[in-house]
Amino acid sequence: MPAMPAMPAAPTQPPPTFDAADAYPELHRLRAALAALDWAGARAVVDAAAEPAGRTLLIRAAGDREGIEPFLRGVLARDPDDAVAGSLLGGHLVLEAWKVRTSAEAQYVSAERFRGFHEQLRRAEQVFIDAAARNPAELSIWCQRLISARGLELGLSEVRRRYDRLAAYDPHHLPAQYQLLQSLCPKWSGTWEQMHTFAHECMLAAPKGAPNAVLVVTGHLERWLDDDSGRYLATPFARNEIYEAAARSVWDPSFRHGPGWVAVRNTFAMAFSLLDDHAAAAAQFAALGRFGTEDPWHYLGEPAAEFTKRRALAYAKGGPR
Amino acid sequence: MIRRTEVDGVPTLISPTAGPMRAGLMFRVGRADETLPRAGITHLLEHLVLYPLGLADYHYNGTTAPVTTHFHMEGPEQEVAGFLSGVCKTLSDLPLHRLETEKAILRTEGSSRSSHVTEPMALWRYGARDHGLVSYPEWGLPMITPDDLRAWADSYFTRDNAVLWIAGREVPAGLTLHLPGGTRRPVPPASSTLPVTPAYFATDSQAVALDAVVRSRTTASVFAGVLERELFRGLRQEGGLSYVASADYNPRGDGHAVITALADALPEKQDAVLGGFIDILAKLRVGRIEQADIDAVVTRKSGALDNDESSAARLPSSAFALLTGDPHPSAEELAVELKSVTVGDVHEVALEALDSALLMVPDGRSADWAGFAQAPSRSSAAVTGATYRNLEGHDVRLVVGPEGASLVTARTMATVRYDQCAAVLGWPDGRRLMIGHDAVTVAVEPTMFAGARAALPVIDAAVPAHLRVVMPARDPSAIPQPDPAAHRRTGNPRPGDISTPWSIAGIAMLVVVLLVVGGPTVALTAGLLNSPRPDSELWVMAGAGALLSAYLVYAVIKNIKRLRLRLP
Repeated sequence: MPAMPAMPAAPTQPPPTFDAADAYPELHRLRAALAALDWAGARAVVDAAAEPAGRTLLIRAAGDREGIEPFLRGVLARDPDDAVAGSLLGGHLVLEAWKVRTSAEAQYVSAERFRGFHEQLRRAEQVFIDAAARNPAELSIWCQRLISARGLELGLSEVRRRYDRLAAYDPHHLPAQYQLLQSLCPKWSGTWEQMHTFAHECMLAAPKGAPNAVLVVTGHLERWLDDDSGRYLATPFARNEIYEAAARSVWDPSFRHGPGWVAVRNTFAMAFSLLDDHAAAAAQFAALGRFGTEDPWHYLGEPAAEFTKRRALAYAKGGPR
Repeated sequence: MIRRTEVDGVPTLISPTAGPMRAGLMFRVGRADETLPRAGITHLLEHLVLYPLGLADYHYNGTTAPVTTHFHMEGPEQEVAGFLSGVCKTLSDLPLHRLETEKAILRTEGSSRSSHVTEPMALWRYGARDHGLVSYPEWGLPMITPDDLRAWADSYFTRDNAVLWIAGREVPAGLTLHLPGGTRRPVPPASSTLPVTPAYFATDSQAVALDAVVRSRTTASVFAGVLERELFRGLRQEGGLSYVASADYNPRGDGHAVITALADALPEKQDAVLGGFIDILAKLRVGRIEQADIDAVVTRKSGALDNDESSAARLPSSAFALLTGDPHPSAEELAVELKSVTVGDVHEVALEALDSALLMVPDGRSADWAGFAQAPSRSSAAVTGATYRNLEGHDVRLVVGPEGASLVTARTMATVRYDQCAAVLGWPDGRRLMIGHDAVTVAVEPTMFAGARAALPVIDAAVPAHLRVVMPARDPSAIPQPDPAAHRRTGNPRPGDISTPWSIAGIAMLVVVLLVVGGPTVALTAGLLNSPRPDSELWVMAGAGALLSAYLVYAVIKNIKRLRLRLP
C-alpha cells in the first residue's frame, strides 16, 4: 500500500454514513415495517422494488434485524410459499452464523466457533432449500445460497450450479455475481484466472453503463490485497482493466444510480485512490456525497476513517470540489 | 386376461401370447432368507439344479433375487415342459458330485461380477441380515454341506411355496411338477440399522443415490417415474452434470416397495450433482409436482397395458404378487388406478419416501447440511477385556473380552458383541473378521497387534459354531506384517517435542550458530580466567554464552537423532 501523508479532512465535507437505508429510503421503510411486525407492509416495500437487484439488496440488508426469527417463522407457518419470508429468514440465519464465526481469517477461528458457525449455517441452508424448492424464481434466495454454500464448503461446482439456476432468470444479477466472484478467488476454491475471466465476462455481457463492470475492479482489489508487494494494482494488466471497467460503467453517460450504485462508486473510488488517480477518485467521491459502503474500505482499515482520509486526499490533490 | 389354474398342486397363471411359449417356476425364497454364514446357499442350489439341464439349445435361466428364486424358459412347448419338469426332478435329487465345482464357479462369478453402484445401500439400511444380505459377498459358500442344501430345498422348494406362470394357450403336455408339500414362507421382516431417517452415508463411488421405502401401491410406482423425469431433466438435460439419472420401483414383497434413484457424476461435478439431487428431492417434498410428468408416466405405463401381449408380459410380476401376497390389480384395474393418480397422491408418496430416505453421497461429502442424519458406521461403546497394542504404533487398540471385541482409537470405536454377531470369518493365518448384526465389522489381524494370537481361542470359543465360516487360505502377500519404519515414523512424540525434525541444511545452520556463539564464549571465559581483575558483567555474558551453547549442542544432537529416524 502506498505511503499516505497525514491529511486532515476538508472541514466542509460531511462525515460519511454507512447505513444503506440513508442511500435507499425504501430500506428504511422495510425496516420500519419489520420493527412493527407488519408483514403486509414489509411485503409491499419488497414487491415495489422495480429491479431484481433492488429486491435482493433490500432482503439482504433487512436480514440483520435482531430477534426477527420467530416473527418470520410465524409468517412461514401461515404461508410456507412466501418467498420473501423464506429468503429473509435464511439470510438472517446466515448473518447470525457469521456473528458466531467472526470475520477473522479461518486459522484464527476456534474449532468450537466453527462448529457453531456450521450448525447455524445448516439451519439457514435448510430454510433456503425449502424456500428455493417452493420459489425457484426468487433470485434473492439463490444469491444467498451462494453464501451458505461457501460457508458450508459445499464445493465450487455446487456454487456454480446455484449461480446457473439464478442466471437462468437474470444473467446480470450483480449481487450474485459478486458472491460467485468471491468463491472463484483462491482464498475459497478458485484461481485468479477463473476469477478474472468471470469478472470480465460479466462486464462484457452486461449492457454499457450497467454496474456489473465493477466486478473487474473488485477482482483486482482482491488480488491486490493478497499481494504482499503492494504494487499489483499499478501493473498494466490491473490498471488497464480498471479503466476499461470505469469506461463501461461509472464513466458511461447511461450509468444511473440504481440498486447497488453506492457500492459500485465506493469500489471505484478506492481503486482510483490506490492508483493515485486523485482526480478520478474525487469524481466518485463527489457523486457519492456522504454515502459509503464498508466493503471495500474495510480492506484498508476502519471504513469511516479510510473513506474520510481518502476523500480529503482526493479533493486536495485531485481537483476543486 | 390372466387365467388361474393348478398343476400338480402348484398355483398356475396362464395368459396367451402370439410368440413362442414362455414359462417360469418361481419359489418364495431368496437371499433375504439366508444368514450371513450361509450366504449364497440359494444361488448355489439354483446352479446345481440347472446343471443337468445345461445343454439345451433354448433360452433358459435361473435368477436368485432378494425374496424369490425363478427358473424360466422360452421355446417350444415340449422343451418348456421338459425344462420345468427337470427342475423339479433335480430338486429332489441334487447332483451333489458337482458341489465343489459349482462353488468354484460361483466364487469366480462373485469376484468378476462388477457390483452395482447402489449395492451397499441395503447393508446401511438393514444391517448384516435379511434384506441387508444382498450387499455382502456369498461368504457362506465354503461351509455349505450337502445336508444344508437338502434341508434348504425341503423347506423352501415345495409346491406350497411356488407359483408357475405360462405365457401360452395351455399347460404344455408332459409337464409334471413333482414337488414335496410344505408351507408358504412369508417374506422375512426387514431389520433396520438406521436410528433416524432421512439419513446419509458416504462411499467411494462417484454417484449420488437414494433408497426409500414406501407402502406398495400404483401411485408409488408413478412417483418413481416422476422422480426419474425430474432427475433426468435437472441433472442431465439442463445441468449437464450426470450421464445416468434414473429411478425405479421394486416391491419388497412385504407390502412395501423400495424406490431407488441414481445419478452418476464426473469427479469435478460431484458436489453439484449432490446439490442438484437434494434440490430435486426438496421440490417433490414441497409438492411442486409437474402434472406433465404425471401424464407422461401414466401414458407410458397405460400403453404397456393396452396390447394383446400385456397380460402375458405381466405374468412374472403377477406370480411374484401371488407368492408374496402383495396387492396386484388386474390390467383393467391398474389402468383405472393410473388414470386417477393426482398431484396430491404423488405428493403423499413423496413425503413418505423422503421421510424414509437413505442417501448415498460421494466420498468426503455429507448431507447433514440438507437435514439428513449421518447413518451410524461406528459403535457407541467398546467392550472391556484384554487389550492389544498395534505393532506399528498406530493409535488403535484391539480389545477382546468375554462379551465381544472392539477396535478403539482416540476418537472412534467399532464393536461386535458375540450376542449381536452375524458371522465370524476365520482364515488359517489367524485373521478373524467379525461382523455384527448392525454391519459394523472388527477385523482381527493377529500379526498386527502384540500378543493378539492369544485372543483367537477366546473369540472362537465365544462364537457359536453355526456363525463361524472357515475361509480358504490367503495369499501370503495379503497377510499384513508390521513395518518397523512405520512404527518409528508414528513413534509417539513426547509433549514439547519439535513436531517436525529439521532438515540437514537446518542442522548445518544450527552448527554455524553454535560456532558463532560458542567460539567467543570459550575465548571470553579463557580471557576472564587469566585476567587479574575480571569484570563481573563479562562473567554474566560468558555464563549466558555457555548456556546458549549448551542448548544449541542439545538441539543439534536431538535433531540429528530425529533425522536418522526419518531416513529410510
